Amino acid sequence: MFKEIFLFELKLWFKRPAVYIFFLVFFLFSVFGMLAAGGFLGNSDNDSNTIVNSAKAITDFISKINTGFVGLIILITIIAPAVYKDFQYNMHPLLFTKPISKFGYMIGRFGAAFLVALFVLTGSLLGHMMMCAILGGSDPHRFGPVHLMNYIEPFIYFVIPNTLLVGAIFFSLVTFTRNMIAGYVGCIAFVIVKNIANALLADIDNQTLAAVLEPFGAQAFRSLTKYWSPDEQNNLRIPFEGVLMLNRMVWLAISIGITALTYYRFQFSQFNNPISFFSRKNKKEMLSLASAPVLALSDIPKAVQNFTTKFSWYQTWFLAKFEFNKIVKSIFFLIIALLAVASLMLVVPLGGAIYGTPTYPLTYQILEVGGALFRLFLNIIIIFYAGVLVWRERDAKVEELVGTAPIKSFVNFTSKLIALIMVQAVLLVVIMITGMMIQMYYGYYKVEVLQYIKDLFGMQLIGLALTCVLTLFIQTIFNNRYVGYFISILILAIPIVFELLEWRNQMALFNSSGPELPYSDMNGYGHIIFSFFIFKLYWVGFGMILIVISNLMWTRGKEKGFKSRVRIARSLFNRKAKIVMTLSLLVFLFSGGFIYYNTNILNKVVSAKAEERSQAEFEKKYKRYTKTQQPRIVSVNWNVAIFPQQLGVKMNGFYILKNKSNKNVDSIILNLTTRIHVNELKFEKAAMKVVDDITNGFYIYKLSQPLKPGDSLKLDMSIDYFPKGFKSTEAGTAIVYNGSFFNSELMPSLGYNEQGELTEAATRKKYNLPKKERMSNVNDSIARMNTYISNDADWINFECVVSTSGDQTAVAPGYLIKQWNENGRNFFHYKMDCKILNFYSFLSARYEVKRDKWMEPSTGKSVAIEIYYNKGHEYNLDRMIKGIKKSLDYYTQNFSPYQHRQVRILEFPRYATFAQSFPNTIPFSEGIGFIAKVNDKDPLSIDYPFYVTAHEVAHQWWAHQVIGGNVQGSTLMSETMAQYSALMVMEKEFGKPAMKKFLKYEMRNYLQARALEAKKELPLKLVENQQYIHYNKGSVIMYALKDYIGEDSLNAALRKYIAKVAYQEPPYTNSIEFISYLKAATPDSLKYIINDMFESITMYENKTTKCSYTKTKDGKYLVKFSVESKKMKADSIGKMKEELIADWIDIGVFGSKEVDGKKTDTELYLQKRKITKSKMDFEIMVNEEPVKVGIDPYNKLIDRTPDNNMKSFNGNDKEENDAGGISVQVSSGK
Amino acid sequence: MNLKITDLSKTYSNGLKALSNVNIEIGSGMFGLLGPNGAGKSSLMRTIATLQEADSGSIMLGDLDVLKHKDEVRKVLGYLPQDFGFYPKVSAWDMINHFAILKGISNPRERKEICEALLNQTNLFDARKRNIGDYSGGMRQRFGIAQALLGNPKLIIVDEPTAGLDPMERNRFHNLLSEIGENIIVILSTHIVEDVRNLCSNMVIMNQGTVLLSGKPAQAIEDMKGKIWMKLIDKEELEAHKANHRVISTKVVEGKIQIHVYHASQPDASFIPLIADLEDVYFATITN
Repeated sequence: MFKEIFLFELKLWFKRPAVYIFFLVFFLFSVFGMLAAGGFLGNSDNDSNTIVNSAKAITDFISKINTGFVGLIILITIIAPAVYKDFQYNMHPLLFTKPISKFGYMIGRFGAAFLVALFVLTGSLLGHMMMCAILGGSDPHRFGPVHLMNYIEPFIYFVIPNTLLVGAIFFSLVTFTRNMIAGYVGCIAFVIVKNIANALLADIDNQTLAAVLEPFGAQAFRSLTKYWSPDEQNNLRIPFEGVLMLNRMVWLAISIGITALTYYRFQFSQFNNPISFFSRKNKKEMLSLASAPVLALSDIPKAVQNFTTKFSWYQTWFLAKFEFNKIVKSIFFLIIALLAVASLMLVVPLGGAIYGTPTYPLTYQILEVGGALFRLFLNIIIIFYAGVLVWRERDAKVEELVGTAPIKSFVNFTSKLIALIMVQAVLLVVIMITGMMIQMYYGYYKVEVLQYIKDLFGMQLIGLALTCVLTLFIQTIFNNRYVGYFISILILAIPIVFELLEWRNQMALFNSSGPELPYSDMNGYGHIIFSFFIFKLYWVGFGMILIVISNLMWTRGKEKGFKSRVRIARSLFNRKAKIVMTLSLLVFLFSGGFIYYNTNILNKVVSAKAEERSQAEFEKKYKRYTKTQQPRIVSVNWNVAIFPQQLGVKMNGFYILKNKSNKNVDSIILNLTTRIHVNELKFEKAAMKVVDDITNGFYIYKLSQPLKPGDSLKLDMSIDYFPKGFKSTEAGTAIVYNGSFFNSELMPSLGYNEQGELTEAATRKKYNLPKKERMSNVNDSIARMNTYISNDADWINFECVVSTSGDQTAVAPGYLIKQWNENGRNFFHYKMDCKILNFYSFLSARYEVKRDKWMEPSTGKSVAIEIYYNKGHEYNLDRMIKGIKKSLDYYTQNFSPYQHRQVRILEFPRYATFAQSFPNTIPFSEGIGFIAKVNDKDPLSIDYPFYVTAHEVAHQWWAHQVIGGNVQGSTLMSETMAQYSALMVMEKEFGKPAMKKFLKYEMRNYLQARALEAKKELPLKLVENQQYIHYNKGSVIMYALKDYIGEDSLNAALRKYIAKVAYQEPPYTNSIEFISYLKAATPDSLKYIINDMFESITMYENKTTKCSYTKTKDGKYLVKFSVESKKMKADSIGKMKEELIADWIDIGVFGSKEVDGKKTDTELYLQKRKITKSKMDFEIMVNEEPVKVGIDPYNKLIDRTPDNNMKSFNGNDKEENDAGGISVQVSSGK
Repeated sequence: MNLKITDLSKTYSNGLKALSNVNIEIGSGMFGLLGPNGAGKSSLMRTIATLQEADSGSIMLGDLDVLKHKDEVRKVLGYLPQDFGFYPKVSAWDMINHFAILKGISNPRERKEICEALLNQTNLFDARKRNIGDYSGGMRQRFGIAQALLGNPKLIIVDEPTAGLDPMERNRFHNLLSEIGENIIVILSTHIVEDVRNLCSNMVIMNQGTVLLSGKPAQAIEDMKGKIWMKLIDKEELEAHKANHRVISTKVVEGKIQIHVYHASQPDASFIPLIADLEDVYFATITN
């Protein structure tokens, strides 16, 4: 019986075209995915160390496709109705009365559908494999040899169990509820669980839990492979172990359990009574046979019929309300809304946390997180209900009754559109209320109701309404609900395609909004509001056209053919319709024309390819000027007028150029970013422009008389920058209404600038450009003639006058000499009293200022502290001030004197999320630190406003006193040292446990990022401005170095180094010189650590395997344990080589003590012990009862599995016997 | 007011000829449209009810071109389709009010009155708060008529209204219908001969998209007078009889087969003369 049903079903399935279409969908996903990966779709190709057809890459790829939204929908469509369809088509009375076995029927049906689903899913694997085989030759760096196992393994570990799981759940849901909607709701719940598991994983402490709970195993797989180096990613098999094995077993068991339960609970007779969400009252017909007296028809009152347009609008409104009520009262809607609210509440607190420290739940954050989350739900609801609405009459079989009703033709479609838009509005209200409740819950009472309304109803609702129009239009035109759903999903997925292929033409992207800017407390929505509404007007015009067409093409009655509907539409296309159509077209064309004028004529839409091409041309044309001897800028004087309302700036000023070489300089090369408009560039002495390339901003002036060695020349400049109209995607953020921030990169520079060259190896090859290293060699003596910050100056004098609008304060490096108001504008004159790097910034905003003072204890020198902030952002000002003071304390004591008399922090909008140190001036993004919510009661809550401040203040030493040459390794002396300095200040302030937590994040970030390295990972000594190395690894390494050689001797070495190189003239210092100071400070027995830490990439695998303790007679505790240690060196793509170990590593025993009701670890024993074997045993005597024991307990060494370094005792571990090994007796730990 | 159908033809995209050269003229009163399933009745009804297009021909309601001015037709139309349903989980009262608004009855007081009156008329007033989904077949049909009567229609079309009703309900339904058709045009489509005989003053018989007979039922019966003959035969004899005579209907009676034969005069002595009824007219027409 089973065999017959199973085979019959299979045959039935494979006769249906849908199966092949689904297969094709998956197949094409892969084909396009691979084409994009190979850069064949006109997208730019990025360097990568990983191939796309490794076991890991394939697993990631197919899990994204198969368990993505489209994949799930298709699975549900296939498996869920395996039994339900008999009911749907009323086959069940015929079928269930036949002598079929329950097993044969259910398992036969389910098995066949399951097999069909697997067949469909192999489409993605086959597509992937085929494309890799075809494209393999084109780019061996992206496509490795095709291994069948790489496809079979993910198929077995992921595809089969996931299909079974999804299939079992939806099969069961739909079979018992007898309602496909239950399946769709389940699908959405799955998507949410997936996403929440994702968000949970962001929190460092919940990773294992999330890995087990996420139903598809993707998180488990990720948690096992996240630290894989590129080499491992390319070569390792799928690690079917640990959490992944656990996850797969758990979910396989659940799937089988559900299937079994479904089978057990299913009864042929029960099938007639579905399980309902609500018990339905099944009132039986009450028979009143008594024939009623029939009234004369003439007794029926007459009523006036009203066919005015006004009443038509009333009818529209009435029907809209009717449809609206039907939707919001449906169970599907309620479930989706509840799910959305629940996930918003779960996700919001996780958003925006840095180092585990959350931010205040500001309104814009709720809106951003909620908006991104709700976009999914809203789109699902729109697509789903567009189908329901258009088909409502036909589903209920009232279409003939409504079709003959004397309503105007626009009433049908328009009422449904209004209903769907009203549903969106209701959901937006739900977001608003949920958001406000979340804010209240977290004790944040600055709820900006107006901003909610502006954002949700002023901006988001327009886009949603347009989506409603489009989906209803699609459903109306295609006149087949499922085709309609499919096309709607495709169209709404187009933005993803645009992004993937780097298409930038916003006018072709339905519902585009033009340039985007995040909301900022400082600048609100900024200047994008205008272009936003123009773009929306354009799409509203388009939407109106769709509405008119939909009104005309509405299926009214029995004519379903497209042709006859067009014929009917033509007869309905009356004067009014024509007027509306014409108006819509006019709106569409005029706003479109205006957008085109702005984005294509006033500004240029440059495709990624065109940008590449022009970069290549620039290099080919001008590279030869690299070595042309140039003078150096020695003095800068600017008069900068910022016009916040016009988003522009006028800059007049001069450079003093000095020929510092021993050769004559006969021509001067000037470089400007192309956005800048040049009014005049004029040399003090006669010069002729010989190259005048405006498109590239590249000019060469030939001096009539060469500039002799030691001579100076003044260059007068008059330039400005005023944006013309708006661009297609990019919104400038340099000058904005409130919170302008730009730096010296906008100013003319001298000589050929390498910054604009193409960097990706494949791209360079395509344009026949020679291979290019990311940075010059650490010893390159020519490159060391420049700092890594500027290539045309050493140390400069700086003076400027900045003016801005009357309500704003403008700030630049230097000290305020004079301030005045003229013509309603504010003027500020700043002058620096010492030499600085050619690196300065200008800021202007409506600032509040908080002032304080710091006094150097030894000299009594006072430093003014000023924080320029946006009103309302007072939360962390005291932390920042404390950060500045503690930093100045530590740095002046341990490094060198502070060169300025002032430290200023200036808030700027969150268009960027960094802080940047300029001389005595630190611009600091509002998105980091200003809105952080540090929990003072939790000693482990990382105070990152304090940390960022300490880091940036440290740059006044590490960058502004000591600066490396433009070569590899130079950020070691700036970024890494700023990290180290901040760590020391933090450790003093917050203690060691907080440092342990901070370094845990640093370690994780380093390990995760090195897995994504696209070119090569380098040791710290040779770091090529790689953030994960100079920040994250740098922190870990410097903290360990301090631990090994001691804070005092390390700082002494640093002091010596600063004394030697601070404010030096070229050639500039390099990391080799810096490391030599560290080496000198390191005792011989530890010299190896310098190589391990700075000159190579070293990894450890330390773990504690066994541990036990016994209580001795004198009340002490003898702890015995075994550790394993492995030391490895990695190359640039993470290929590992094991090395003999002979290292000093911390061995620790920890007890536990209760402090303020919380259990905290106490060190009973902590000492560096020489590890010489891969396995070693220890015996240590301690005074108190131990709890934990292990090797490298503070994770000072880089280890990809830091959690197994320590082992806790449990009661059973106590043992009496002595074993061999090293025995140490200590009187007492700390 | 007259409804005049001239040369109406319609062929579906699958090649099925639904209507071919239909010519009918209908005055006020009940008009019966009789024919077997698939005769084209529903196609004709839907075309008149503005739900379907015609390939050629015209339909005029008085001076109104039905095929062109659909909106105008809908204003005076009451329509009860053959196969219809209602929105789930909506009460009868909400539903009738819903349709009243669609029919353009804008005054809320008037709307309430007319809805009450119609529900009373169809004897549904007591059940007005119940969901229509829970109604029995007869109640649904009555509700259908109630909604068709909204807004003083001049033309009412009812398509197979009594199919599936028990005799009692059918009776009640007939009573309702007969009340209506006095000053307005009521077109009743059915394949049940009795319905037409009971209710209609005029009728046509249709088959395969063409009008086979049109006129008054009484006249048609009159015309058949003396031409219908009956005979009881054995099962084996049926083929032979069919070959020799125009057998218009057969019926099993007590193990024998009773055949009705159309013949201008008595075929032979074994045939018994029969007083023709409308059913014989119908069968004689469609088997022609």
